[in-house]
Amino acid sequence: MSKVAIILIPLVIIGVLVVGAFGIYNGLVSSQEEAKTAWAQVENQYQRRADLIPNLVETVKGYAQQEKTVLEEVTRLRSQWGEARQSGDINKTLQAAQGLDGALGRLMVVVEKYPDLKSNQNFMKLQDQLEGTENRISVERRRFNESVLNYNKKIRTFPGALFAGLFGFERMPLFEAEQDAKKAPKVKF
Amino acid sequence: MIAGLLRNNAFPKLFLAGIFAFLSCLPALALVVPDRPSGRVTDRTGTLTRDQILRLEQKLAAFERETTNQIAVLLIPSLEGDSLEDFSIRLAEKWKIGQQGRNNGVILLIVKNDRKLRIEVGYGLEGALPDALAGTIMRNEISPRFREGQFYQGIDAGVNAVIAATKGEYKASPKKKGSQMEAWIPFLLAGAFLVFFMLAASRARRRQYHSGSSRGWTSGGGFWYGGSSGGGGGFDSGGFSGGGGDFGGGGASGTW
Repeated sequence: MSKVAIILIPLVIIGVLVVGAFGIYNGLVSSQEEAKTAWAQVENQYQRRADLIPNLVETVKGYAQQEKTVLEEVTRLRSQWGEARQSGDINKTLQAAQGLDGALGRLMVVVEKYPDLKSNQNFMKLQDQLEGTENRISVERRRFNESVLNYNKKIRTFPGALFAGLFGFERMPLFEAEQDAKKAPKVKF
Repeated sequence: MIAGLLRNNAFPKLFLAGIFAFLSCLPALALVVPDRPSGRVTDRTGTLTRDQILRLEQKLAAFERETTNQIAVLLIPSLEGDSLEDFSIRLAEKWKIGQQGRNNGVILLIVKNDRKLRIEVGYGLEGALPDALAGTIMRNEISPRFREGQFYQGIDAGVNAVIAATKGEYKASPKKKGSQMEAWIPFLLAGAFLVFFMLAASRARRRQYHSGSSRGWTSGGGFWYGGSSGGGGGFDSGGFSGGGGDFGGGGASGTW
Protein backbone atom coordinates (compact mmCIF):
# COMPACT_ATOMS: atom_id res chain seq x y z
CA MET A 1 0.00 0.00 0.00
CA SER A 2 1.35 3.29 -0.99
CA LYS A 3 1.18 6.39 1.16
CA VAL A 4 -1.39 7.85 -1.19
CA ALA A 5 -3.81 5.00 -0.59
CA ILE A 6 -3.40 5.25 3.17
CA ILE A 7 -4.39 8.91 3.04
CA LEU A 8 -6.99 8.44 0.36
CA ILE A 9 -9.07 5.63 1.82
CA PRO A 10 -9.99 7.38 5.10
CA LEU A 11 -10.73 10.56 3.16
CA VAL A 12 -13.10 8.75 0.86
CA ILE A 13 -14.81 7.08 3.81
CA ILE A 14 -15.19 10.41 5.59
CA GLY A 15 -16.54 11.95 2.40
CA VAL A 16 -19.16 9.25 2.03
CA LEU A 17 -20.16 9.58 5.69
CA VAL A 18 -20.47 13.34 5.42
CA VAL A 19 -22.65 13.06 2.35
CA GLY A 20 -24.78 10.43 4.08
CA ALA A 21 -25.17 12.75 7.05
CA PHE A 22 -26.35 15.53 4.75
CA GLY A 23 -28.99 13.20 3.42
CA ILE A 24 -30.27 12.21 6.85
CA TYR A 25 -30.29 15.78 8.10
CA ASN A 26 -32.12 16.97 5.00
CA GLY A 27 -34.59 14.15 5.40
CA LEU A 28 -35.40 15.34 8.92
CA VAL A 29 -35.75 18.94 7.80
CA SER A 30 -38.02 18.07 4.93
CA SER A 31 -40.36 15.91 6.99
CA GLN A 32 -40.50 18.65 9.59
CA GLU A 33 -41.41 21.13 6.86
CA GLU A 34 -43.99 18.71 5.55
CA ALA A 35 -45.67 18.58 8.93
CA LYS A 36 -45.63 22.37 9.17
CA THR A 37 -47.20 22.67 5.73
CA ALA A 38 -49.84 20.15 6.74
CA TRP A 39 -50.62 22.31 9.75
CA ALA A 40 -50.96 25.36 7.56
CA GLN A 41 -53.47 23.42 5.49
CA VAL A 42 -55.53 22.66 8.58
CA GLU A 43 -55.56 26.36 9.45
CA ASN A 44 -56.50 27.30 5.89
CA GLN A 45 -59.55 25.11 6.10
CA TYR A 46 -60.55 26.64 9.42
CA GLN A 47 -60.17 30.03 7.77
CA ARG A 48 -62.37 28.88 4.94
CA ARG A 49 -65.03 27.91 7.40
CA ALA A 50 -64.74 31.19 9.26
CA ASP A 51 -65.27 32.99 5.96
CA LEU A 52 -68.54 31.19 5.46
CA ILE A 53 -69.99 32.10 8.81
CA PRO A 54 -71.14 35.73 8.25
CA ASN A 55 -73.16 34.66 5.23
CA LEU A 56 -74.60 31.72 7.12
CA VAL A 57 -75.56 33.86 10.09
CA GLU A 58 -77.26 36.40 7.80
CA THR A 59 -79.23 33.71 6.01
CA VAL A 60 -80.39 32.05 9.21
CA LYS A 61 -81.32 35.45 10.68
CA GLY A 62 -83.72 36.03 7.84
CA TYR A 63 -85.80 33.06 8.91
CA ALA A 64 -85.06 32.62 12.58
CA GLN A 65 -84.75 36.05 14.11
CA GLN A 66 -85.67 34.75 17.54
CA GLU A 67 -82.60 32.48 17.71
CA LYS A 68 -80.45 35.41 18.68
CA THR A 69 -78.44 33.65 21.39
CA VAL A 70 -77.05 30.95 19.16
CA LEU A 71 -76.35 33.32 16.31
CA GLU A 72 -74.54 35.73 18.56
CA GLU A 73 -72.56 32.90 20.07
CA VAL A 74 -71.42 31.74 16.64
CA THR A 75 -70.40 35.26 15.67
CA ARG A 76 -68.59 35.81 18.96
CA LEU A 77 -66.68 32.53 18.79
CA ARG A 78 -65.75 33.22 15.20
CA SER A 79 -64.07 36.48 16.10
CA GLN A 80 -62.50 34.81 19.11
CA TRP A 81 -60.97 32.27 16.77
CA GLY A 82 -59.73 35.05 14.53
CA GLU A 83 -58.03 36.78 17.45
CA ALA A 84 -56.49 33.54 18.67
CA ARG A 85 -55.12 32.88 15.22
CA GLN A 86 -53.68 36.37 15.02
CA SER A 87 -51.89 35.77 18.30
CA GLY A 88 -50.21 32.75 16.76
CA ASP A 89 -50.82 30.55 19.79
CA ILE A 90 -51.60 27.14 18.34
CA ASN A 91 -53.28 25.75 21.44
CA LYS A 92 -55.50 28.78 21.84
CA THR A 93 -56.41 28.69 18.14
CA LEU A 94 -57.38 25.06 18.41
CA GLN A 95 -59.47 25.63 21.48
CA ALA A 96 -61.29 28.47 19.80
CA ALA A 97 -61.82 26.38 16.68
CA GLN A 98 -63.34 23.60 18.74
CA GLY A 99 -65.55 26.06 20.57
CA LEU A 100 -66.76 27.22 17.19
CA ASP A 101 -67.42 23.60 16.19
CA GLY A 102 -69.76 23.28 19.14
CA ALA A 103 -71.59 26.53 18.46
CA LEU A 104 -72.09 25.65 14.80
CA GLY A 105 -73.44 22.27 15.83
CA ARG A 106 -75.99 23.98 18.10
CA LEU A 107 -76.95 26.39 15.34
CA MET A 108 -77.62 23.50 13.02
CA VAL A 109 -79.86 21.83 15.59
CA VAL A 110 -81.84 25.06 15.90
CA VAL A 111 -82.23 25.24 12.13
CA GLU A 112 -84.19 21.97 12.23
CA LYS A 113 -87.18 23.94 13.55
CA TYR A 114 -87.43 26.05 10.40
CA PRO A 115 -88.55 24.05 7.37
CA ASP A 116 -88.72 27.18 5.23
CA LEU A 117 -85.09 27.91 5.94
CA LYS A 118 -84.06 24.32 5.30
CA SER A 119 -85.67 24.33 1.88
CA ASN A 120 -84.18 27.71 0.96
CA GLN A 121 -81.87 27.30 -2.06
CA ASN A 122 -79.31 29.72 -0.73
CA PHE A 123 -79.25 27.98 2.61
CA MET A 124 -78.85 24.57 1.01
CA LYS A 125 -75.81 25.83 -0.88
CA LEU A 126 -74.33 27.26 2.29
CA GLN A 127 -74.96 23.94 3.95
CA ASP A 128 -73.07 22.18 1.13
CA GLN A 129 -70.17 24.55 1.54
CA LEU A 130 -70.10 24.19 5.28
CA GLU A 131 -70.23 20.41 5.09
CA GLY A 132 -67.53 20.43 2.43
CA THR A 133 -65.35 22.60 4.61
CA GLU A 134 -65.87 20.42 7.66
CA ASN A 135 -64.88 17.46 5.56
CA ARG A 136 -61.78 19.25 4.31
CA ILE A 137 -60.86 20.07 7.89
CA SER A 138 -61.03 16.44 8.89
CA VAL A 139 -59.04 15.37 5.82
CA GLU A 140 -56.30 17.91 6.49
CA ARG A 141 -56.31 17.05 10.17
CA ARG A 142 -55.69 13.40 9.39
CA ARG A 143 -52.95 14.29 6.92
CA PHE A 144 -51.33 16.53 9.49
CA ASN A 145 -51.34 13.71 12.04
CA GLU A 146 -49.87 11.33 9.48
CA SER A 147 -47.03 13.68 8.65
CA VAL A 148 -46.33 14.38 12.33
CA LEU A 149 -46.28 10.66 13.03
CA ASN A 150 -43.84 10.17 10.20
CA TYR A 151 -41.60 12.96 11.47
CA ASN A 152 -41.75 11.78 15.07
CA LYS A 153 -40.85 8.30 13.95
CA LYS A 154 -37.86 9.63 12.05
CA ILE A 155 -36.43 11.55 14.99
CA ARG A 156 -36.91 8.61 17.32
CA THR A 157 -35.43 5.86 15.19
CA PHE A 158 -31.90 5.23 14.01
CA PRO A 159 -30.19 7.02 12.31
CA GLY A 160 -32.37 10.12 12.57
CA ALA A 161 -32.30 9.91 16.37
CA LEU A 162 -28.57 10.74 16.33
CA PHE A 163 -29.22 14.03 14.57
CA ALA A 164 -32.43 14.89 16.36
CA GLY A 165 -30.55 15.34 19.64
CA LEU A 166 -27.61 17.07 18.01
CA PHE A 167 -29.60 19.66 16.08
CA GLY A 168 -32.56 20.00 18.41
CA PHE A 169 -35.33 18.40 16.37
CA GLU A 170 -38.19 18.13 18.80
CA ARG A 171 -41.18 15.87 18.87
CA MET A 172 -44.26 17.54 17.41
CA PRO A 173 -47.66 17.13 19.03
CA LEU A 174 -50.44 15.40 17.17
CA PHE A 175 -53.78 17.03 16.61
CA GLU A 176 -55.53 15.48 19.57
CA ALA A 177 -59.07 16.50 18.94
CA GLU A 178 -61.40 15.68 21.79
CA GLN A 179 -63.22 12.40 21.85
CA ASP A 180 -65.39 11.80 18.80
CA ALA A 181 -64.12 14.97 17.19
CA LYS A 182 -65.18 13.37 13.94
CA LYS A 183 -68.73 13.81 15.14
CA ALA A 184 -68.23 17.18 16.82
CA PRO A 185 -68.34 19.40 13.74
CA LYS A 186 -71.37 17.50 12.48
CA VAL A 187 -73.54 19.80 10.50
CA LYS A 188 -76.07 17.30 9.25
CA PHE A 189 -79.39 18.91 8.67
CA MET B 1 -31.32 -5.29 16.69
CA ILE B 2 -31.09 -1.52 16.75
CA ALA B 3 -34.83 -1.29 16.84
CA GLY B 4 -34.84 -3.72 19.74
CA LEU B 5 -32.36 -1.58 21.65
CA LEU B 6 -34.42 1.52 21.10
CA ARG B 7 -37.51 -0.29 22.24
CA ASN B 8 -35.81 -1.48 25.40
CA ASN B 9 -34.87 2.05 26.25
CA ALA B 10 -37.51 4.13 27.91
CA PHE B 11 -39.91 4.67 25.08
CA PRO B 12 -41.76 7.76 26.19
CA LYS B 13 -45.31 7.12 27.20
CA LEU B 14 -46.26 10.40 25.64
CA PHE B 15 -45.35 9.15 22.24
CA LEU B 16 -47.38 5.99 22.69
CA ALA B 17 -50.26 8.09 23.92
CA GLY B 18 -49.92 10.15 20.77
CA ILE B 19 -50.15 7.06 18.64
CA PHE B 20 -53.27 5.96 20.48
CA ALA B 21 -54.81 9.39 20.06
CA PHE B 22 -54.08 9.17 16.38
CA LEU B 23 -55.46 5.66 16.05
CA SER B 24 -58.60 6.67 17.86
CA CYS B 25 -59.17 9.26 15.14
CA LEU B 26 -59.26 6.51 12.56
CA PRO B 27 -62.62 4.98 11.77
CA ALA B 28 -63.38 1.97 13.90
CA LEU B 29 -64.77 0.06 10.96
CA ALA B 30 -62.73 0.78 7.89
CA LEU B 31 -64.28 -0.70 4.79
CA VAL B 32 -61.59 -1.95 2.43
CA VAL B 33 -61.16 0.29 -0.59
CA PRO B 34 -61.20 -1.72 -3.82
CA ASP B 35 -58.18 -1.53 -6.09
CA ARG B 36 -58.25 0.96 -8.89
CA PRO B 37 -60.32 -0.67 -11.61
CA SER B 38 -59.44 -0.85 -15.27
CA GLY B 39 -62.63 0.94 -16.26
CA ARG B 40 -64.15 4.28 -15.38
CA VAL B 41 -67.46 2.85 -14.28
CA THR B 42 -67.48 0.11 -11.66
CA ASP B 43 -70.73 -1.41 -10.55
CA ARG B 44 -70.48 -3.78 -7.62
CA THR B 45 -74.22 -3.88 -7.12
CA GLY B 46 -75.31 -5.34 -10.44
CA THR B 47 -77.59 -2.36 -11.03
CA LEU B 48 -76.41 -1.23 -14.45
CA THR B 49 -76.54 -3.33 -17.58
CA ARG B 50 -73.38 -3.97 -19.54
CA ASP B 51 -74.69 -1.73 -22.28
CA GLN B 52 -75.32 1.14 -19.86
CA ILE B 53 -71.83 0.81 -18.39
CA LEU B 54 -70.37 0.88 -21.87
CA ARG B 55 -72.28 4.02 -22.80
CA LEU B 56 -71.12 5.80 -19.66
CA GLU B 57 -67.55 4.62 -20.23
CA GLN B 58 -67.57 6.04 -23.73
CA LYS B 59 -68.94 9.35 -22.59
CA LEU B 60 -66.34 9.67 -19.85
CA ALA B 61 -63.50 8.59 -22.14
CA ALA B 62 -64.52 11.18 -24.73
CA PHE B 63 -64.68 13.82 -22.03
CA GLU B 64 -61.22 12.91 -20.85
CA ARG B 65 -59.77 13.06 -24.36
CA GLU B 66 -61.22 16.51 -24.74
CA THR B 67 -60.29 18.06 -21.41
CA THR B 68 -58.00 15.52 -19.63
CA ASN B 69 -60.44 15.67 -16.72
CA GLN B 70 -61.14 12.23 -15.33
CA ILE B 71 -64.43 11.09 -13.88
CA ALA B 72 -64.88 7.71 -12.20
CA VAL B 73 -68.12 6.16 -11.03
CA LEU B 74 -68.35 3.51 -8.32
CA LEU B 75 -71.48 1.76 -7.09
CA ILE B 76 -71.17 -0.33 -3.95
CA PRO B 77 -73.93 -2.07 -2.02
CA SER B 78 -73.09 -0.87 1.50
CA LEU B 79 -70.56 1.01 3.61
CA GLU B 80 -70.83 -1.64 6.30
CA GLY B 81 -70.92 0.97 9.01
CA ASP B 82 -68.06 3.08 7.68
CA SER B 83 -68.56 6.80 7.20
CA LEU B 84 -69.32 7.94 3.67
CA GLU B 85 -66.81 10.79 3.69
CA ASP B 86 -64.03 8.67 5.18
CA PHE B 87 -64.49 5.93 2.67
CA SER B 88 -64.74 8.39 -0.17
CA ILE B 89 -61.49 10.20 0.60
CA ARG B 90 -59.64 6.93 1.08
CA LEU B 91 -61.00 5.85 -2.26
CA ALA B 92 -59.81 9.08 -3.83
CA GLU B 93 -56.36 8.72 -2.26
CA LYS B 94 -56.03 5.18 -3.54
CA TRP B 95 -57.40 5.63 -7.05
CA LYS B 96 -55.82 9.02 -7.65
CA ILE B 97 -58.28 9.96 -10.35
CA GLY B 98 -57.19 12.98 -12.38
CA GLN B 99 -53.91 13.96 -13.94
CA GLN B 100 -50.89 14.52 -11.82
CA GLY B 101 -50.26 18.22 -11.30
CA ARG B 102 -53.75 19.12 -12.53
CA ASN B 103 -55.64 17.17 -9.88
CA ASN B 104 -58.64 17.22 -12.15
CA GLY B 105 -60.51 14.14 -11.03
CA VAL B 106 -64.09 13.62 -9.90
CA ILE B 107 -65.49 10.50 -8.26
CA LEU B 108 -69.18 9.76 -8.12
CA LEU B 109 -69.69 7.28 -5.29
CA ILE B 110 -73.06 5.60 -4.87
CA VAL B 111 -73.86 3.39 -1.89
CA LYS B 112 -77.02 1.73 -3.03
CA ASN B 113 -78.45 0.03 0.06
CA ASP B 114 -77.46 2.87 2.37
CA ARG B 115 -79.06 5.33 -0.07
CA LYS B 116 -76.05 7.62 0.16
CA LEU B 117 -74.04 9.27 -2.55
CA ARG B 118 -71.11 11.60 -2.77
CA ILE B 119 -69.39 13.63 -5.43
CA GLU B 120 -65.71 13.82 -4.49
CA VAL B 121 -63.93 16.66 -6.28
CA GLY B 122 -60.18 16.87 -6.87
CA TYR B 123 -58.24 19.98 -5.87
CA GLY B 124 -57.96 21.17 -9.44
CA LEU B 125 -61.70 21.20 -10.08
CA GLU B 126 -62.81 22.76 -6.83
CA GLY B 127 -63.05 26.08 -8.65
CA ALA B 128 -65.19 24.80 -11.49
CA LEU B 129 -67.21 22.45 -9.36
CA PRO B 130 -67.51 24.00 -5.91
CA ASP B 131 -69.27 22.16 -3.10
CA ALA B 132 -72.50 24.08 -3.53
CA LEU B 133 -72.67 23.18 -7.22
CA ALA B 134 -71.88 19.54 -6.50
CA GLY B 135 -74.68 19.55 -3.94
CA THR B 136 -77.09 21.19 -6.36
CA ILE B 137 -76.27 18.65 -9.06
CA MET B 138 -76.98 15.88 -6.61
CA ARG B 139 -80.26 17.34 -5.44
CA ASN B 140 -81.56 18.37 -8.83
CA GLU B 141 -80.17 15.77 -11.21
CA ILE B 142 -79.28 12.58 -9.41
CA SER B 143 -81.41 12.13 -6.29
CA PRO B 144 -84.83 12.63 -7.93
CA ARG B 145 -84.06 9.93 -10.52
CA PHE B 146 -82.59 7.56 -7.95
CA ARG B 147 -85.73 7.98 -5.89
CA GLU B 148 -87.68 6.53 -8.80
CA GLY B 149 -85.23 3.67 -9.16
CA GLN B 150 -83.74 5.10 -12.36
CA PHE B 151 -80.11 4.60 -11.49
CA TYR B 152 -78.65 4.77 -14.95
CA GLN B 153 -80.61 7.92 -15.78
CA GLY B 154 -79.54 9.51 -12.51
CA ILE B 155 -75.86 8.73 -13.03
CA ASP B 156 -76.04 9.84 -16.64
CA ALA B 157 -77.68 13.15 -15.73
CA GLY B 158 -75.19 13.68 -12.92
CA VAL B 159 -72.26 12.97 -15.19
CA ASN B 160 -73.64 15.33 -17.82
CA ALA B 161 -73.99 18.09 -15.25
CA VAL B 162 -70.46 17.53 -13.93
CA ILE B 163 -69.11 17.60 -17.47
CA ALA B 164 -70.98 20.80 -18.23
CA ALA B 165 -69.68 22.38 -15.03
CA THR B 166 -66.07 21.47 -15.57
CA LYS B 167 -65.73 22.01 -19.29
CA GLY B 168 -63.28 24.68 -20.28
CA GLU B 169 -61.46 24.49 -16.97
CA TYR B 170 -57.82 23.47 -17.04
CA LYS B 171 -57.02 24.16 -20.66
CA ALA B 172 -53.82 25.74 -19.49
CA SER B 173 -50.65 23.72 -19.62
CA PRO B 174 -49.99 21.60 -16.56
CA LYS B 175 -48.07 23.03 -13.67
CA LYS B 176 -44.40 22.20 -13.84
CA LYS B 177 -43.12 20.21 -10.96
CA GLY B 178 -40.22 21.70 -9.01
CA SER B 179 -36.76 20.67 -10.07
CA GLN B 180 -35.57 17.39 -8.64
CA MET B 181 -31.96 18.53 -8.87
CA GLU B 182 -31.65 19.61 -5.25
CA ALA B 183 -32.20 16.11 -3.93
CA TRP B 184 -29.27 14.90 -5.99
CA ILE B 185 -26.76 17.52 -4.99
CA PRO B 186 -25.32 15.32 -2.21
CA PHE B 187 -24.82 12.49 -4.68
CA LEU B 188 -23.30 14.78 -7.25
CA LEU B 189 -21.01 16.14 -4.56
CA ALA B 190 -20.08 12.62 -3.51
CA GLY B 191 -19.40 11.73 -7.13
CA ALA B 192 -17.28 14.84 -7.65
CA PHE B 193 -15.48 14.17 -4.40
CA LEU B 194 -14.61 10.63 -5.38
CA VAL B 195 -13.67 11.55 -8.93
CA PHE B 196 -11.43 14.30 -7.62
CA PHE B 197 -9.55 11.91 -5.36
CA MET B 198 -9.34 9.20 -7.96
CA LEU B 199 -7.90 11.68 -10.40
CA ALA B 200 -5.50 12.97 -7.78
CA ALA B 201 -4.44 9.43 -7.06
CA SER B 202 -3.96 8.56 -10.71
CA ARG B 203 -1.87 11.70 -11.17
CA ALA B 204 0.23 10.86 -8.17
CA ARG B 205 0.82 7.29 -9.19
CA ARG B 206 0.74 7.77 -12.95
CA ARG B 207 -0.93 4.42 -13.33
CA GLN B 208 -3.18 3.63 -16.26
CA TYR B 209 -5.91 1.69 -14.43
CA HIS B 210 -6.75 4.58 -12.14
CA SER B 211 -7.92 6.80 -14.94
CA GLY B 212 -10.05 3.86 -16.05
CA SER B 213 -11.67 3.64 -12.65
CA SER B 214 -12.32 7.36 -12.63
CA ARG B 215 -14.36 6.95 -15.77
CA GLY B 216 -16.22 4.18 -13.99
CA TRP B 217 -17.23 6.48 -11.17
CA THR B 218 -18.45 9.18 -13.50
CA SER B 219 -20.74 6.76 -15.24
CA GLY B 220 -21.87 5.62 -11.82
CA GLY B 221 -22.98 9.17 -11.12
CA GLY B 222 -24.81 9.17 -14.40
CA PHE B 223 -26.65 6.06 -13.38
CA TRP B 224 -27.85 7.62 -10.15
CA TYR B 225 -29.01 10.71 -11.89
CA GLY B 226 -30.85 8.71 -14.48
CA GLY B 227 -32.60 6.85 -11.69
CA SER B 228 -34.15 10.04 -10.38
CA SER B 229 -36.07 10.82 -13.51
CA GLY B 230 -38.10 7.62 -13.39
CA GLY B 231 -41.73 7.47 -12.32
CA GLY B 232 -43.65 10.50 -13.50
CA GLY B 233 -47.38 10.60 -14.05
CA GLY B 234 -48.15 8.95 -17.36
CA PHE B 235 -50.66 10.50 -19.69
CA ASP B 236 -53.08 8.02 -21.06
CA SER B 237 -53.99 7.22 -24.58
CA GLY B 238 -57.45 5.77 -24.74
CA GLY B 239 -57.41 3.42 -21.74
CA PHE B 240 -58.07 4.38 -18.16
CA SER B 241 -54.64 5.22 -16.86
CA GLY B 242 -52.97 8.45 -15.94
CA GLY B 243 -53.79 9.12 -12.32
CA GLY B 244 -51.89 11.03 -9.70
CA GLY B 245 -54.65 13.51 -8.98
CA ASP B 246 -54.90 14.77 -5.40
CA PHE B 247 -58.07 15.30 -3.43
CA GLY B 248 -58.64 17.38 -0.36
CA GLY B 249 -62.13 16.43 0.68
CA GLY B 250 -64.02 18.82 -1.59
CA GLY B 251 -67.41 17.90 -2.99
CA ALA B 252 -70.77 17.14 -1.48
CA SER B 253 -72.64 14.28 0.11
CA GLY B 254 -76.30 13.49 -0.11
CA THR B 255 -79.05 10.94 0.05
CA TRP B 256 -82.06 10.03 -2.02
